[in-house]
Amino acid sequence: MNAVDGVLAALADPTRRELLDRLSAQGRSTATRLAGELPITRQAVVQHLAVLDAVGLVSGQRVGRERRYEVRSERLTETARWMDRLAAQWDRRLATIKAIAEAESPR
Amino acid sequence: MNADRIEREVKISAPIERVWSVLTEPAHVGTWFGTGTPAEIDLRPGGVMVLDHGSYGTFPTLIVDVDPPRALSYRWASAYPGVLATADNSTLVEFTLEPAADGTLLRVVESGFDSLVIPPERESSAGYASHSEGWSGVAEKLAAFAEGADESPLMPVA
Repeated sequence: MNAVDGVLAALADPTRRELLDRLSAQGRSTATRLAGELPITRQAVVQHLAVLDAVGLVSGQRVGRERRYEVRSERLTETARWMDRLAAQWDRRLATIKAIAEAESPR
Repeated sequence: MNADRIEREVKISAPIERVWSVLTEPAHVGTWFGTGTPAEIDLRPGGVMVLDHGSYGTFPTLIVDVDPPRALSYRWASAYPGVLATADNSTLVEFTLEPAADGTLLRVVESGFDSLVIPPERESSAGYASHSEGWSGVAEKLAAFAEGADESPLMPVA
């Protein structure tokens, strides 16, 4: 899986998006703390964080007995740029459709 | 928050039938969605519309719904040149047309990104082939959080 693809697949899960939102808002957090805020087990949180870590969306650092996770914005920014380009292509196509339709329809 | 769709729209100063013909006539489709040569179009549900994207390949899209002059939809396997679109390899592109004051409101929705797998070697050209904005919404929103900026609007309008 390539970088953008991996990010999209990771983001496809609503729980992972929720975890990212919370990590972004809190700066840093641990699986235990995140599990306390959400209706899912710590083990599930650990698994979701591992997926996010694997595609570079978060990084974890061991502190004592826990890992502290934070968001890595580079990967998100890269994905956002890719998607902006794709969206811009629809805008160009719609603009061309508009130009053709209006040229054929003098008013 | 819907993470699975691009939504764009444009107001066109032309009657709805005119816009419909630009969306569906081979010569027009070849212009706005191809390299200039007329597209091959079998305009019926289950029919195939072949988009020629030059060096990126040709894309046999599968027409899902044809309801002139209000709705047209097809599946587009933009990461797989030469491969007929199926539910697994493609996104769904839906055009809807609505009469508006002095013209037509044309809306396009492309959805199905979360189940789409883009092969690594096609990443850059799948980028060319056009995708995602629902995704853009999610990623931008998250990126904005990540950078400490305010929440950005989910769906920027053209």
